[in-house]
Amino acid sequence: MTVVAAFLVPGSPLPLLNPENGPWRPLMSGFARAARSLAAARPDAILLYSTQWMAVLDELWQVRPQVSGLHVDENWHEFGDLPFDLRIDVELAEACIAGSREIGVSAKPVDYDQFPIDTGTIVASTLLDPEGRFPLVIAANNLYHDGPTTRRLAAMAAECAKAQRKKIAVVGVGGLSGTLFREQIDITDDRIARPEDDKWNRKILQLMEKGDASALERVTGDYVKEARVDMGFKHYDWIVGGIGGRYFGAQVHGYGPCYGTGAAVVEYRL
Amino acid sequence: MAHGEILAGFLAPHPPHLVYGENPPQNEPKSEGGWEQLRWAYERARKSLDELKPDVLLVHSPHWITQVGHHFLGVPHLSGKSVDPIFPNLFRYTFSLDVDVELAEACCENARKRGLVAKMMRNPKFRVDYGTITTLHMIRPQWDIPIVGISANNSPYYLTTEEGLDEMDSLGKATREAIEATGRRAVLLASNTLCHWHFHEEPALPEDMSQEHPHDYAGYKWDMRMIDLMRQGKTDEVFRLLPQFIEEAFAEVKSGAFTWMFAAMGYPQIPGELHGYGTVIGTGNAVMEWNLVKAGLAGAQRRTAA
Ligand SMILES: [Fe+2]
Repeated sequence: MTVVAAFLVPGSPLPLLNPENGPWRPLMSGFARAARSLAAARPDAILLYSTQWMAVLDELWQVRPQVSGLHVDENWHEFGDLPFDLRIDVELAEACIAGSREIGVSAKPVDYDQFPIDTGTIVASTLLDPEGRFPLVIAANNLYHDGPTTRRLAAMAAECAKAQRKKIAVVGVGGLSGTLFREQIDITDDRIARPEDDKWNRKILQLMEKGDASALERVTGDYVKEARVDMGFKHYDWIVGGIGGRYFGAQVHGYGPCYGTGAAVVEYRL
Repeated sequence: MAHGEILAGFLAPHPPHLVYGENPPQNEPKSEGGWEQLRWAYERARKSLDELKPDVLLVHSPHWITQVGHHFLGVPHLSGKSVDPIFPNLFRYTFSLDVDVELAEACCENARKRGLVAKMMRNPKFRVDYGTITTLHMIRPQWDIPIVGISANNSPYYLTTEEGLDEMDSLGKATREAIEATGRRAVLLASNTLCHWHFHEEPALPEDMSQEHPHDYAGYKWDMRMIDLMRQGKTDEVFRLLPQFIEEAFAEVKSGAFTWMFAAMGYPQIPGELHGYGTVIGTGNAVMEWNLVKAGLAGAQRRTAA
């Protein structure tokens, strides 16, 4: 089997930067459980898509063998710095670039010193694989790509891994409901901004737990609109595309607020 | 008490292609040139700015996006390498700049007094966005004037365009009050493109100008209509049309810099001077100046009159 694990995780830096804050603890412990599962699955590479790496021209793929540095989030700079040190599976990333072109999506490699790595990629890789054991393949969120295109890209990437006889973990990095508190809050009182959003998030997570992907498909459009879901929930499309469209259930390792928005750490049963 | 003032405002867009075309030592990639019309427009703007001799340049950039409030750079010195996430092949620029923190703090304080959420950015490791850097390089490549960097709160996108631009109007007024109270002679830079429809693929040689033209005719016509009104000093009409322009031409002025600048200047009904217009990967860019000194609304002339 090519895909040995799949996760949906939030890209907000808040829990990582403030792990002791009460409302964010469920997400931190969720990440810890997901990290244990990932370690046990021992993938050869992690196929990661973060809504916060935004592209507008081509589909971009990171191909620099080692990317390291220190990132400061443009909105959450007061909470601290995000150091990172990522290893890239260049062979697989190169195959994905060729593969993107084969499915009609123009694609480009990114290989530049100090290229800005997005917050979501750093948060997810740090918390899912704290020791940096597994190399990554990182793909950008092209703002002009819709859900189906995102699925096709992930499916293509999984095919490329299969051709290279590699086991992969598929990771979609992004939030759930998107209503954010727009004024300073006391972070110890953080909560999902609107009860309707909370209801929607829980409904979606329940459908995932049941493995009812088709029922979830039917409501995704409304969910995205009514709960202002992060980037049209394309990080979920990435996961579904990467795992071949089917899962048998899911475990919600953690669910909670990030400054009003919804966030969850979910592991899919394949 | 010190009485500062705004000397001029510039519409000063930030396509990194202009820096790339110019080949300054700070930028790693090298080009054969390109986008000369716009670069020469900036040459004229540079000359004007030089004559104004401001104490400080204030820039509002759509590529420093914040969700919780309007943020101001609040570290005296910032440096690093800025790599454009969209055009990393064109823009990898080593920057070093000084911030007028006292003025930034006054702007922040005034914004709060006007009911906005406002914050100082105090993290010394913060990497300044490529919009701010491109605009500043293009208008003043010497980097010898302190700056105030202001984020684009995403309110025009998160709320409605009108609600968001209302916030930018308050931000502009707060900025003016801060400039006056701190005694600064200031120039404002609105780092915005006009029509923002763009091509989705770059030519093999990005500076191959035979491939450069407006993305679409309707967008081009919108740009010309707006520029024409600005050249005539019909500021009220420009702002009446602004929401429709934003909607139909996908104009980057939605992010607020243009409104912020005009609010700070008090929406003067004076002709803007067009230094030049050109497209970059299909988007419409105008370098324009509203010189309040020449118009008798600021500077020596105003002082003599008063
Ligand atoms: Fe821009």
